[in-house]
Amino acid sequence: MDRSEILSIMNLVMAKRGRPAIQSETQTTRDANFRSLDFSETALRIETKMGRELAFDAAAMRRIETVKDVLDFFQDVTKAT
Amino acid sequence: MADIWRNNRVVFGAGATDWAALQAEGEARYGAAAALAARRVAFVVDGVRGAFAAVAYGMAFDLDWGVIEASRLTPDVEARFDSHGVALIGPDGTVLNAPEPGEVQPGRITVLTSGSTGLLKLIPHTADTLNTFDRLREMPPQAWFLPYQIGSYAWYQMVALGLFVPDQTLVPGDIDDLAASFAAALARGGVTAISSTPTFWRYALMSIAPETLAAAGLRNISMGGEIVDQAILDTLAALYPEARIRHIYASSEAGAAIVVTDGRAGFDAALLDRPGTIGVRIEDGRLFIRSPYATKAGGEDWIDTGDLVERRGDRIHFCGRVGNTMINVGGNKAFPPDIEAHLMRHPDVVWAQVTARRAPLVGNLPVAAVVLRQPLDEEAAEAMLAAHCEGALAEYAIPRMWEFLDRVPLKASLKS
Repeated sequence: MDRSEILSIMNLVMAKRGRPAIQSETQTTRDANFRSLDFSETALRIETKMGRELAFDAAAMRRIETVKDVLDFFQDVTKAT
Repeated sequence: MADIWRNNRVVFGAGATDWAALQAEGEARYGAAAALAARRVAFVVDGVRGAFAAVAYGMAFDLDWGVIEASRLTPDVEARFDSHGVALIGPDGTVLNAPEPGEVQPGRITVLTSGSTGLLKLIPHTADTLNTFDRLREMPPQAWFLPYQIGSYAWYQMVALGLFVPDQTLVPGDIDDLAASFAAALARGGVTAISSTPTFWRYALMSIAPETLAAAGLRNISMGGEIVDQAILDTLAALYPEARIRHIYASSEAGAAIVVTDGRAGFDAALLDRPGTIGVRIEDGRLFIRSPYATKAGGEDWIDTGDLVERRGDRIHFCGRVGNTMINVGGNKAFPPDIEAHLMRHPDVVWAQVTARRAPLVGNLPVAAVVLRQPLDEEAAEAMLAAHCEGALAEYAIPRMWEFLDRVPLKASLKS
């Protein structure tokens, strides 16, 4: 899944909670107010869109700090077969 | 009982009969009772009328008996009956299996669980444990619509009402189309009472014209089998302001134990301390019942109901079943019944069910399936319901994914 598609799902999740859209990839998830529940929801929406369950690596998730990390993470996960 | 046998009616469609006639129908099907008295049997029936004929026959001759619909028989179910030594008797009286004969207890009635959480179970009862109406001093004449699955505890309870309480008419629903048969029975007039589940009512409210429901003039409404939420109590109170509305806590094993008549969800915490025939206590958040109507009559043993309860002020509320209810969201506990009750308080929501979906980082997220009163664009519906939950539910308990269904998914057990 490409980055713009992942970002639009993240922003959909943010909009549903009444929060402003993510402004830049360099923002930390904390500054963007993108919380762990939002991350989990984004994952489920990506799974639904792809029609399959994805394998999420816990160690890679723990390393996430910025919006860019989130985008890299989901891009990587959705690439895997 | 002889008077009741002749006077109480059972209505099938536009016609009515009495228990004595049903007994005669049973005798025509199964022949002399002596042949069946020496074994534990279950009558396999192909319809509602056949089920009532089997009941009248089994009761009249004090057999060791039960009833099951033919459509529920699978190899696994047959094996279950075999393992209990129960002979399956077909609609024409032929024996359908060859189990090792089990011990025979005249008067035992085999109640079936719904099998919704696995293979159905055989629960032994008797007329005494099923007839929970002997504690009522007097019941006015009523005609009860009977929507329950043949052979279930709730079905036998209603059958017991028709068999043991004077002036009680039963109007069995058509199991193939409950809503249509309920609407038809209401339209014919004469139905004054119904015992069912909250899901059945939500299904009926979606499926039957409001004017047909409103014109029915029901006087007695009982609900059980599921958690009864405030929204459905309020909806029915508004629709039937003259009706006596009550919810009953009962299970196949514990029998009917708690009757609530004050129009509020949950039950009065004072019941916990009240001495009496039926005991109620809470241990580690689980409800325990001691009742003379339990499957092992005598009322000495406490039964772990497997239901989770929580005290909130002066009320005890049901929180779901042990083991499969609570959703762990990143270490926080979300209880689907609470979330569902909140969703169903929204005026546009008819029915809601909340389940867990596995999710990274937090472990699980609550997801909701919802039936709306009127179809709505999904995005708009999601926004509407998320806004309804904001501030009222903890953030982790707000469903994150939504599915919108066209109709209430009613199971044969009348639950969802």
